[in-house]
Amino acid sequence: MRTTALARMVLAACLVLSVYLSKAYCDEAWRAEFDDACAKTMDSMALSAGELKALIGRCERLQKIIEQQDETVRKVYLKRLQMCKNLYVYVLEGKSGEKLQK
Amino acid sequence: MRRAVFVVLVLFVGVGFAWASGTKKRRLPPYEFGSVTINNYSQLAGMPPVVFDHWVHRQHFTCRLCHVDIGFGMTAGATKVRAVDNMKGYYCGTCHNGRMNVNNKKVFEACAKEYSREEYNRCVKCHALERDAAKEEEFYRFADNLPKERFGNGINWEKAEEEGLIKPLDQLEGVSSMKGKLKVQQDFSLKSKVEGMPDIIFSHKKHTVWNGCELCHPEIFVGIKKGTTKYSMVELFDGKYCGVCHDKVAFPQTDCQRCHTKPV
Repeated sequence: MRTTALARMVLAACLVLSVYLSKAYCDEAWRAEFDDACAKTMDSMALSAGELKALIGRCERLQKIIEQQDETVRKVYLKRLQMCKNLYVYVLEGKSGEKLQK
Repeated sequence: MRRAVFVVLVLFVGVGFAWASGTKKRRLPPYEFGSVTINNYSQLAGMPPVVFDHWVHRQHFTCRLCHVDIGFGMTAGATKVRAVDNMKGYYCGTCHNGRMNVNNKKVFEACAKEYSREEYNRCVKCHALERDAAKEEEFYRFADNLPKERFGNGINWEKAEEEGLIKPLDQLEGVSSMKGKLKVQQDFSLKSKVEGMPDIIFSHKKHTVWNGCELCHPEIFVGIKKGTTKYSMVELFDGKYCGVCHDKVAFPQTDCQRCHTKPV
């Protein structure tokens, strides 16, 4: 009887821990993805149209995740994401314009 | 007589327009240039507004770090920073967390839910009640060792960095997306519209060293190809394009020779 209660408590503790850990892991995952996707702004002029489109796509996917975060995180990261995505779009438009002119 | 009355009338109308549109601005003393007053929530919470001095911060950090990586907007009050944001370690709280060290000095912690009478002294470091004479003195002591400039803060920040007198940090671990070195775009010239005024040489190198790319493009400068956007000094003085920074924090646009540099 006592062993069963102890086992249940351990199981409950494991469950709570796993919920916390998975949340922390998810948090880490989107931040790492953000850092990676937005780390290319300095090289944006050297990227191909395909690479830029892929980065814009990653920014759009990230936006959905960031929109679910708490208010402060949402405010900070949505602004940062917008700046980085807008730059990629801007460079892509520039490249498309150049191509059309040629 | 009628001519004199006409001249006086024109003068009156001109002065009236200038007064009404606020064209005549007070020239700020060097220590006040670049000061920004932020009052989104302060007074509602019973605190004086925040007076943010750019000169204190720009000696340590690039514009990019705060306006891109930390997320501060480019106009006063646009970010709507709340005390709770700072307490969570964002915005001012990114550095003002009581743990960060700059020049072996601990950066004081920003904002708290509760504070004692002694701790209130920390609050008024930002929520300034009145102009702090000690801060003014600190500015002049700091500026004394730096290359001089005619306008603005009276400091040539660009030269100060070139000479290694200031070393602004561009990335913060755990905050910045670590980026590679920027391949700098070439300088280009912009034709002046006034006869006799030298053309502008725009240096990407000088601007990207502190701003990166995304701070200016596309939010401030939308045109992709050179010549797409036509700039006028009226718009610039109105706070658009170069006027987003110049006149407010970077050297004022009244210092014509700093931009109109192409030999005639």
